[in-house]
Amino acid sequence: MAKTYDFLFKLLLIGDSGVGKTCVLFRFSEDAFNSTFISTIGIDFKIRTIELDGKKIKLQIWDTAGQERFRTITTAYYRGAMGIMLVYDITNQKSFDNIRNWIRNIEEHASADVEKMILGNKCDMDDRRAVSKEKGEQLAIEYGIKFMETSAKASINVEEAFVTLARDIKSKMDRKMDATGQQKSGGVKVTEKESQKKSGWKFCTLL
Amino acid sequence: MSNMSDEESRDKLLKTVKKEVKQIMEEAVTRKFVHEESGSIISLCAAVDACLSQGLKRRAVGLFKGNNYTFSLLKQLSKNYAPAQEVLQKVHEIELRLEANKKHSNGESPSNHTPQQNIRTALQQRHLWIRVALFEKYLAKICENVSQTGSKYYDKDCLMADPVDGPILASLLVGPCALDYSKMKTADHYWTDPPADELVQRHRIHSAGPGVTSGNNSPRRPGLQVKKTATGTTPEEHCRTPVSARDYVESLHQNSRSTLLYGKNNVLVQPKEDIALIPGYLSLHQTALHLTIKWTPNQLMNGGGAEETETEGEKRRSDSIITRLKNGRRKPIYWDYAVMVNVEDIVYLHCHQQPDSGGTLVLVGQDGVQYPPIHFPKGGHLLAFLTCLENGLLPRGQLDPPLWSQRGKGKVLPKLRRKSSKSSGLGMAASQDGTQIFEGDEATDYVFRIITSFRPEFIPEEASILPVRNGGSRHHTAFPWSARDIGPRHALIRQQEVVHSPTGSSPSPVPLPPAIPYSPVSPTSAELAAITSRWDQYQGSSIRILCDTMRRQIISRAFYGWLAHCRHLRTVRTHLSGLVHPVIISNELTEKASSGLTCEKWAELCTMEEDIDEGEVMRLIYFGGMDHEIRREVWPYLLGHYKFNSTEEELSGVDEGVRLNYEQILAEWMAVEAIIRQRDKDNQQAKLSSENSSEGQIPLTGHDPSLDSEVFEIDDDNDEYVESGEVIQEVDQADLTKEQQDFVQKEDYVVLSRCRSPRQDTLETETGRSLGSEVSGDVPCEVSGDVPCEVITGGKMSPPGSDEGFGDASSITDSTSRHSSRLASSSYSYDSREVIHEGQNGDICSDAEDIDVLKKSHINEADEEGSGPEVIARNGDGKAITVELVNGKSHDDAEEDEKAGEEGKEDEEEEDEDGEGTVSSSRSSADPVLGMKGLNIPDSSCHLMADMATASPASSNGGVYSNELLDSFSLNLHRIDKDVQRCDRNYHYFTSTNLEKLRNIMCTYVWEHLEVGYVQGMCDLVAPLLVILDDEAKSYSCFCELMKRMSKNFPHGGAMDTHFANMRSLIQILDCEMFELMHQNGDYTHFYFCYRWFLLDFKRELVYDDTFAVWETIWAAKHCASGQMVLFIALALVEYYRDIILDNNMDFTDIIKFFNEMAEHHDAKAVLKIARELVHRVQSLIENQ
Repeated sequence: MAKTYDFLFKLLLIGDSGVGKTCVLFRFSEDAFNSTFISTIGIDFKIRTIELDGKKIKLQIWDTAGQERFRTITTAYYRGAMGIMLVYDITNQKSFDNIRNWIRNIEEHASADVEKMILGNKCDMDDRRAVSKEKGEQLAIEYGIKFMETSAKASINVEEAFVTLARDIKSKMDRKMDATGQQKSGGVKVTEKESQKKSGWKFCTLL
Repeated sequence: MSNMSDEESRDKLLKTVKKEVKQIMEEAVTRKFVHEESGSIISLCAAVDACLSQGLKRRAVGLFKGNNYTFSLLKQLSKNYAPAQEVLQKVHEIELRLEANKKHSNGESPSNHTPQQNIRTALQQRHLWIRVALFEKYLAKICENVSQTGSKYYDKDCLMADPVDGPILASLLVGPCALDYSKMKTADHYWTDPPADELVQRHRIHSAGPGVTSGNNSPRRPGLQVKKTATGTTPEEHCRTPVSARDYVESLHQNSRSTLLYGKNNVLVQPKEDIALIPGYLSLHQTALHLTIKWTPNQLMNGGGAEETETEGEKRRSDSIITRLKNGRRKPIYWDYAVMVNVEDIVYLHCHQQPDSGGTLVLVGQDGVQYPPIHFPKGGHLLAFLTCLENGLLPRGQLDPPLWSQRGKGKVLPKLRRKSSKSSGLGMAASQDGTQIFEGDEATDYVFRIITSFRPEFIPEEASILPVRNGGSRHHTAFPWSARDIGPRHALIRQQEVVHSPTGSSPSPVPLPPAIPYSPVSPTSAELAAITSRWDQYQGSSIRILCDTMRRQIISRAFYGWLAHCRHLRTVRTHLSGLVHPVIISNELTEKASSGLTCEKWAELCTMEEDIDEGEVMRLIYFGGMDHEIRREVWPYLLGHYKFNSTEEELSGVDEGVRLNYEQILAEWMAVEAIIRQRDKDNQQAKLSSENSSEGQIPLTGHDPSLDSEVFEIDDDNDEYVESGEVIQEVDQADLTKEQQDFVQKEDYVVLSRCRSPRQDTLETETGRSLGSEVSGDVPCEVSGDVPCEVITGGKMSPPGSDEGFGDASSITDSTSRHSSRLASSSYSYDSREVIHEGQNGDICSDAEDIDVLKKSHINEADEEGSGPEVIARNGDGKAITVELVNGKSHDDAEEDEKAGEEGKEDEEEEDEDGEGTVSSSRSSADPVLGMKGLNIPDSSCHLMADMATASPASSNGGVYSNELLDSFSLNLHRIDKDVQRCDRNYHYFTSTNLEKLRNIMCTYVWEHLEVGYVQGMCDLVAPLLVILDDEAKSYSCFCELMKRMSKNFPHGGAMDTHFANMRSLIQILDCEMFELMHQNGDYTHFYFCYRWFLLDFKRELVYDDTFAVWETIWAAKHCASGQMVLFIALALVEYYRDIILDNNMDFTDIIKFFNEMAEHHDAKAVLKIARELVHRVQSLIENQ
């Protein structure tokens, strides 16, 4: 198709089934919420173009089926993904616990420098909260990933999450292209550095 | 009220305008310009028009034509306001021009103007004056003028009359007015990826619509590459002449499609006899295939503005044009004068040179027709044109005689001897300053011939040496190049065929002239002589040689075509013959069946004396579908639930049997569900009771049947993640009191012990916190003397539960023995065993001292064992210890507990084994009671117990349910619940009662197939069955039949890959073009866009009614046409949109997007029809080997 964007970023949404991946995506791409959504079978994607630093970034966001049985097809998409959103449900402890497994899955199948972000969805249901925000943040810090609590229903933080992820991808890309290097440590962009630094170094000790 | 609505409407109008303005400005910023034809301009104009029209007093404005009140407004304004007048004038001009164009283009090829363009122009014209005003940057001023002075035209409360809103509108428009709008049409002008509907719409507009097969579905020889434009959004452009003036003019410039070889302005042409010479622009264009000479009148070059100075004749012409326009008569216009000639069509170029002018060129076509003479201005331009032409003709053609190059002067016209004897000095030389020198003041005329035919000199050497043999099939080897290289040679061959007609004589071995490598360099005189002499020599035989060559090529082409066809057939035979029934249904039967299975027909069939012919029924359904009313009756036959021609008794017997079976299984798993719930409740209670805060409330919320038995199931997928329903957490809290809950919450990963005595429910943590609470009497522990102490984890850690004594320690190393003993002794596993989840790694250690949570592998082992209530933990050394916090005595005393706990730990470290069986046995002794009675639990805790009450009596027969079974089932229950809640909620049938039915069916099936369990998608398969049959038991039975075929499609089944492979073969055979597209666009071969189609038999792609139709076709097809009807329907879907896919050059991503967006928008009938045709085609292919 005709090129009307400056960059195309492929993103991926993963997480247990029922945590709200499709709703988050729907909220981001159509700015709407549908409480009677059907479960995702197979794979689907939506597109939204945003602007960052004067460049048009086309975000192609792939939505996967949560059940692990469908992993064979979904993992095929890991490799091309530049950014991955890991979603869990704050009212569901298990979905949070599984984030680690999803991260491992990413390590196995996605490219090494993929940008990640953890989303704790359904944060509007505070009365049924099972995972505290601190826990989420803790987990994210451990992996050196960014973290946000979102609500697709109440439209909280969804946009910010995707934009942040896109921004991270873009700056990583800019840095790569920037031959006259910025040094890794004590670099100019302090805020982003930290999150990048840790990624990918933690997992060698696991099983 | 009316004021409010006025205000509202004003606001709304303004909002629309704001939105449009914003859009345009955004576009301008991001794309650096806004194209004149941008859609956002159209919408902005519409919005402005709406604002200006609101409340416009018609009479005040003057009743002008049509509904174009705002235009009338403009006219009124123009009387007093200069900018308005300018705009008005411009609008007039444009209107004239457009009318002229329209008339002209109607005369040309009407089909060329795509309806899409038509729509655009129509839309543009609708608010023409606004557009013009915008482009002229007057719009804001005009609006301002209107709001200031135009109030007499408006009602009081409308937008423009409002003192605030009017100026707002004007100021809003300042921005868009300030922009420059580009006329430039670049190739990548089409900016958005249009959604699927729009693609379909566009396609429908410019063709008969999707699904109309274009007739080229016949297997084409691979290798014939149809060149597609890069962008592909308007593929028709490259093969159609552009009609609009702007397009035409743009095509005259250098663009990506053609190279401009020569261009000269002020070239005069006399297009018709009675018309004077018109100046225009002569240009020579080279595209990949053609060389084209174009001449365009200046009037068209300037977009019809006639801004160039015209000769007098012109002026008269244009005046008369206008006058004639006004009279509404048709008349020729400059379009007619434009000349466009393919050089291929020209044979001769006559060049006349006069002393006073630059030279005249007359083109003579192959049919002998002369084109209007082209007059070049002075200055060697004719020569320049010829030079460029000659260059353009190379390498395939040349001028004869060729132009000579003269040192120092470049190309010159050849100095040839003229037959009519004039002095030899008569030649022309272009002098340095470009003027022509005539000797003797005589002009010289030249006749150039354009030679583009294939010449025998150009046969490569090797081919000429090979012996020429008779017999067709060998010849292709003699000319390997001709067989291989169909593409580029094609043009040559074509020309050859055009020029010469085959004589059909057998090729005689005429020695071919030695190959002369063709070189574009001007030949030396010696070579020239050689060529010309040979040319004379072989002129006679050349035709014959040409014919021979052609024959060979035709034969070789035919051979390769046949070879490819054979290969295709072989593929068909090997791969695809299994996909269809070998027997093709005769036309006659097809005809009979096409009416479908109507109610009457079915009734007739049922009441017949003879047996129903199953085949006939199937054919009827396959070809003609089924009426909705009889679906309920017929589907069970289709699915195999009933057998055809059964008697009434047999039918009811089947039903009865099915129902009984169903109910039995239902009861079974419901009992298990009850157990699971109970187990959950216990866990909750245990957790809660360990809370510190003592508020003494017992809010037992309803809980979820799911246990937090998140398992990393050990099946083939080793990374099975925990599936947990949202309500899991509720479960955890469910039967714990509030304070217990809080208590639990605070302790994340700490092992607790819970001790329930008849009077007290104590939860405590390892760290010594404990919460004791009074429990009033309904703790189920009263049954036995045992006081079960459960070890429960708060948060995530695995709960050990254990009973009296320290006996329950178990180590990992001894898992197997544990396992067996546990199994033996455990009945309804009330072990409040929660499995440790994989996910817990380092970060949870904060609370638990020295205890890391088990890693997965160990847990898995443990799980498998159905390990009882214990916590298996690992300390920092990695040593496995079992922490047991057990004791059977009453524990009111926190310290004691703790000590016990620690002792337990120590014991653990020393012993590796533990006393077996005690745990479970004690548990189990408690449990059966619970299981049986299960109703001792306080009401508030479990409203679901009511359900269990009905079921549980049956469960008393019950077998032994291992922990793992319970866990597995509970996990599946989660998944089912999650999906049932989301299943087709928008469809009217699915009230909560019916959803409950759906759930029951699903659970029953899963209970029977627990090794596979529930996979997402199964609910979608049950739903239509339930809708039609409306009977749980019958639906269950039919679903089981359905799943016999469908379960292979699920991820554990592996049929999906076969489907994809078959799809690949089918497309390869049946639609080469599509296959090539898929191939070239990359890794399509997994066809994942079909995944959902095959998994759910298209249920998600279609609305319910269509789903019914498609399903019954699939089932019927199995008996009469194809056992793999799904493949053909899938292929039919692809074929239905084939043009759109090909036109837009879709890659894998685009296709997924397209089909996902088209879901529930398909025309199922048409698709089914195509599917049937495809089946027929494959059947014929196989038959006609």
